[in-house]
This record gives sequence, structure tokens and C-alpha cells, in this order.
Amino acid sequence: MKPGTRWTQFWTVLSFAALAAVLVPVFVIDAPWPAAARDYVEAQGVREIGSYNLVSAVYLGYRIFDTVGEIIVLIASVIGTVAVFSAAGAVLAEGYEIDLRNMSDREKQEIMDDSSFTLPGEKRHTHALRTHLLEVVTGVLGPVVVLFGFYIMVYGHSSPGGGFQGGVIIASGIVFLALGNRMESSTMLTRPPVLERIESAAFLVLALASFGGMFTGTGFFGDFLKEFALYPAGFMMIMKVSIGLIVGAGIGYLCIAMVGREIT
Amino acid sequence: MTILLLALVLGLAVYTVSTKDLLHGIIALSAISLLSALLFYLLDAPDVAITEAAVGAGVSAVIFIGVIRYTERRDTSE
Repeated sequence: MKPGTRWTQFWTVLSFAALAAVLVPVFVIDAPWPAAARDYVEAQGVREIGSYNLVSAVYLGYRIFDTVGEIIVLIASVIGTVAVFSAAGAVLAEGYEIDLRNMSDREKQEIMDDSSFTLPGEKRHTHALRTHLLEVVTGVLGPVVVLFGFYIMVYGHSSPGGGFQGGVIIASGIVFLALGNRMESSTMLTRPPVLERIESAAFLVLALASFGGMFTGTGFFGDFLKEFALYPAGFMMIMKVSIGLIVGAGIGYLCIAMVGREIT
Repeated sequence: MTILLLALVLGLAVYTVSTKDLLHGIIALSAISLLSALLFYLLDAPDVAITEAAVGAGVSAVIFIGVIRYTERRDTSE
């Protein structure tokens, strides 16, 4: 037994005991659950925010500052990832690119032996190690997943969903498109510069919309469309769509950076 | 049903921590996220379920697999 193992066990037991000391009273005591905020949101959420999905009403209406803080954290992590990748000399590439022109015949034959379940040879000279199954399934499902993400994002006020949920589904769709078949059908959504512009433009819209309430007297991040009463969830729709695009483009960017080319 | 799901999540979590093959660990982690999403849905939290399914099972697995591509698949430490 190595030295220090006993201390490790001691600290493990101690941390579990501390966790139990915090958590057990929560389950044991019989105090009434705090209900004031819940009852207020349940009674006023539809009227004040215009959202039938009260979860969205909280995080896009009453607690929009928290949401914007999370968005800023996400953008900071994307910036950090890009900085690390560019410092490491990696290329934000569009999928696996294996340069077959500089390979000998024996290396090509090895790749073909390694990947027996692949596309015909003439279709796969940019991604020789990818299988036919993955290409076809992701290439076909990608646009459907992106469309579903937009549905979740836009209908977040009346059905489960919202900006974050739709955004991560859009990011999954972007990953599918990046993994899918790009030989025949190329899409702009998997290119890093396009994702950067989408993210920047969406954050600009979010920032401008946050100042709109100052001119109508409802304050920073106030609902400036409420006076016009065109659509009860109008301001929330702007928040939802811009947050969804920021999250989708940002997380999609991160994933495309990770599935990109090897660090050279 | 909830007890069964929680037991499965616990078993997969122990497997994730103890396995030496990191790719198997990532697959088990994705399975944990899917089961958690099902659990959230059964507990009437569909918003959280959508997020958990998309982030946990989809996006984070892609990022972890990307990390494995840049490093090693086996955990060689004792």
C-alpha cells in the first residue's frame, strides 16, 4: 500500500460525511417549501412576459441578467478555445482531411484495408477513414436536426424549449452537417467564418435590444415592445432567437474545432 | 422506474470512472446523459430534458472524442 493512501481514504470519508451533513437535513426536515416566488410566477408570468412556458418566462424575462451572464461565459470559452487552438498551430478544418496525393500506394492500400465499410474510392479522397454509414446518416439527418432546433427555439414561449435548448440542438445539427457528406452537397453552416459572423451578429442584436427599454421607460433589458402590444411575447422572441443563434453558433464552432484537422 | 434509472446511472458512472479505455468511458457518459434526460422527462421537466440530451449525449461527447483524437485512448496511469 502506497504512502498517502490512508490519508486519501480519510479525506474521501470526510468529504462524504460533510456532503451528508448538508444534504440529509434537506430531506429530513418538514419545513414548507418556499412558495412565494413560484406562486407569483404562476399567477403573473403569462400576463407580464407573455409566455405560457413558465420556465422560459423566468430565464428569458425575470432573470434575463443571469442568462446574459451565461451567454458571456459561453462566448469567453469559445474565444479561449480558438486562442488555444491557434497558438497550438491547429487548423480549423472542415472535417478530416487526409492528403492522398502525397501518399505511396502501400499507404493508400493500408487505409483502404483499415476502412472496409466505406464509400467507393472515387468519392472519398478527402475523408478516407470515414464509413459510408456515418456519412449517409449524418448527412441526411443534419438539416432535419437544424430545422427541429429552430422549431424548439422559436416556439419556446408556448411549448418546452427556448433559446438554450434550441441552440444546443442547432449545434448538434451543425456537427451532423460537418460530419456528413460534404462531397456532393456543401453547406455554409459548417465553415468557421460563417459561424463567427452569425454569433457576432446575434450578440449585437441582443445588446441593442437590451438598450431598447431605456427609451420607453422600462429600464435596461425592459420589454420595450410591450407598449405596442403587437405580440405578447415579442421581446422574448428577440431574446430567444438571438440567444439560440449565439449558443448554436458558439457550440457548433467548438465542435467543428474539435473534429477538425490534426494539430500540425 | 425512477429507482431503476437511478441505479443504471450509478452503475454507468462507476464504470465511467473505473474503465481504462477512455472511449468506452465517453460512451458510458453519453448513456448516463440519455438516462438522465429520460429521468428529467419523467419528473415533468421537459426543458431540462432537451438540454441534457443535446448537450450531454451529443455535444460534449463530440468534444471528448476530439480530445481523444489529439491525445491517447488508453489511460496509462496507475
